[in-house]
Amino acid sequence: MNGTLVTLKKELMSYFYSPVSYLIAVLFYLWRGYEVRSTVRAFAVYQLDQDLLPSACFGLTSTFFMVLLVPGVLTMRCFAEERRSGSIETLLTAPIRDVEVVLGKWLAAVAFYSLLWLPTVLLMWVLTLPPFLDTHLEFGPVFTSYCGMFLLSSMLLAYGCFASSLTDNLLLAAIVAILFNLGLLKLPELLRQELGATAQEPLVEQVLSKLDVMGNFGQWWARGLVDTSQIWFYLGGTMFFLFLTVLSFGARRVA
Amino acid sequence: MISVRDLRKQFGSTAAVDGLSFEVSRGEVLGFLGPNGAGKTTTIRVLTCFHPATSGEVRVGGFDVRTQAIEVRRCIGYLPENVPLYPDLRVDEYLHYRAALKGVPRKQRKSNVERAMERAGVLEVRNKLVGHVSRGYRQRTGLADALVANPPILILDEPTSGLDPNQRRRIKQLVKDLAQEHTILFSSHILAEVQDVTSRIVVIHRGRLRADGTAADLIAKGSSRTLRVEAHADAETLRRALVPIRGLSAPRTTDLGDGTTLLLAAIEQQGDLRDAVAQALAAAGVRVRELRVELPTLEEYFYSVTEGADRSEEGVA
Repeated sequence: MNGTLVTLKKELMSYFYSPVSYLIAVLFYLWRGYEVRSTVRAFAVYQLDQDLLPSACFGLTSTFFMVLLVPGVLTMRCFAEERRSGSIETLLTAPIRDVEVVLGKWLAAVAFYSLLWLPTVLLMWVLTLPPFLDTHLEFGPVFTSYCGMFLLSSMLLAYGCFASSLTDNLLLAAIVAILFNLGLLKLPELLRQELGATAQEPLVEQVLSKLDVMGNFGQWWARGLVDTSQIWFYLGGTMFFLFLTVLSFGARRVA
Repeated sequence: MISVRDLRKQFGSTAAVDGLSFEVSRGEVLGFLGPNGAGKTTTIRVLTCFHPATSGEVRVGGFDVRTQAIEVRRCIGYLPENVPLYPDLRVDEYLHYRAALKGVPRKQRKSNVERAMERAGVLEVRNKLVGHVSRGYRQRTGLADALVANPPILILDEPTSGLDPNQRRRIKQLVKDLAQEHTILFSSHILAEVQDVTSRIVVIHRGRLRADGTAADLIAKGSSRTLRVEAHADAETLRRALVPIRGLSAPRTTDLGDGTTLLLAAIEQQGDLRDAVAQALAAAGVRVRELRVELPTLEEYFYSVTEGADRSEEGVA
């Protein structure tokens, strides 16, 4: 898997060179910092159950920003830029397999996305110290919250890579990815409204609850509970989209 | 090293390459010629495993492009026509990345990159961003990329296009130097440089092979030598004076307007006719301003097997 490691390194370097990455980071940290500070203050003032803090923090608007917009914007360049600039020709004529390139690019996106989240753990820890909340925070739910976010984002970034492999237009790639994310966030709610009573049937309800990504976050991950079926859902989705990306990327040879 | 047999590549209903066959031997520098749209880049893309062939058999370095693509790509250094590079990387970062991607062992990577940069002449811009260097340096960076894994075969698709005459000269010299260690397929439509750099030439047109041989062979196969005479006489006198000379045909005359006439005639026999022509003109009392034999060029041959052939076919139809 030499090709994967080399691609991962080069793509990570590109993320750190890109002004878009810094723009996302600055926007996210300012927004997140403000929201978490307000939430923690509310918890202190109203003396709420500290165990609910991770759950409350994951329900913030900045989380939606990270789930809805950021995966598509981060991955839009992955393949669309290669096609637009023509560098796909040197990439596809190098002695590496398509799957190595796809994995390298996806892993770089996952690594950079995870790095964006990492300082927010520090933020929560700092806020529990004496000058701020001066309390003990249960880090179990925090850990599961971040694991859940990692799995979900892995799937969304895999889809972002797939969207990027379909076009040479960066904006279009980002829009296709964002629309998918929006669908994933809003579809269960819309289906519940449309189906009415049918949505209450056990099988339908079960399917809808599995699809309800953000609902599951509040109910399970952020409370320190891990549902293995959701792990399989995210892992399966990730592999499915990566597989589609390999097919789509390789199809360039036939074009 | 490269063997192409009955290659056919179709895009929808259009055949970009139509039954093309040629070989390139070890150590040879093959000039791959053809007008725009002839199928040169498509053929190269099949050789480099970027496009699959619709049919035919293509082997590079002894490996089949269809079933052993990774091995084929390992023995090729490829410079695509538009030299696509990553503008956000520095020149040496880019070459280190490409060396790693091509599987150059970590220990050799630094020395390979240094050598490739030195050979391609990009040492002075090694710390500059690829996006900030001139077109000539981008071209040379692409060439350094083709060299970095030290492959036995180099495929250079129009490496001098868009360069100024000095840059073209440097690239040409570099290709000549590289010919000592590599088998090279050099695609271009600048005939003079192909003639200068390559040991053999293949001409394709409309996806088909039109000619294969050394530059001298192809020129010899082409149009005949031309006798050019400028003299102080009218056309009729000039024609009559040259009637006794055997081996001249299709004389064409042009009145140059100052009492002189230009005569051009095809020479259809071997040997130097200049003495005989000079004597015949002197005997007829014609004062000669210029007398010379024009040799055929590769350009004329190229025209005769490409566009010229098309016109003849259209005429027949």
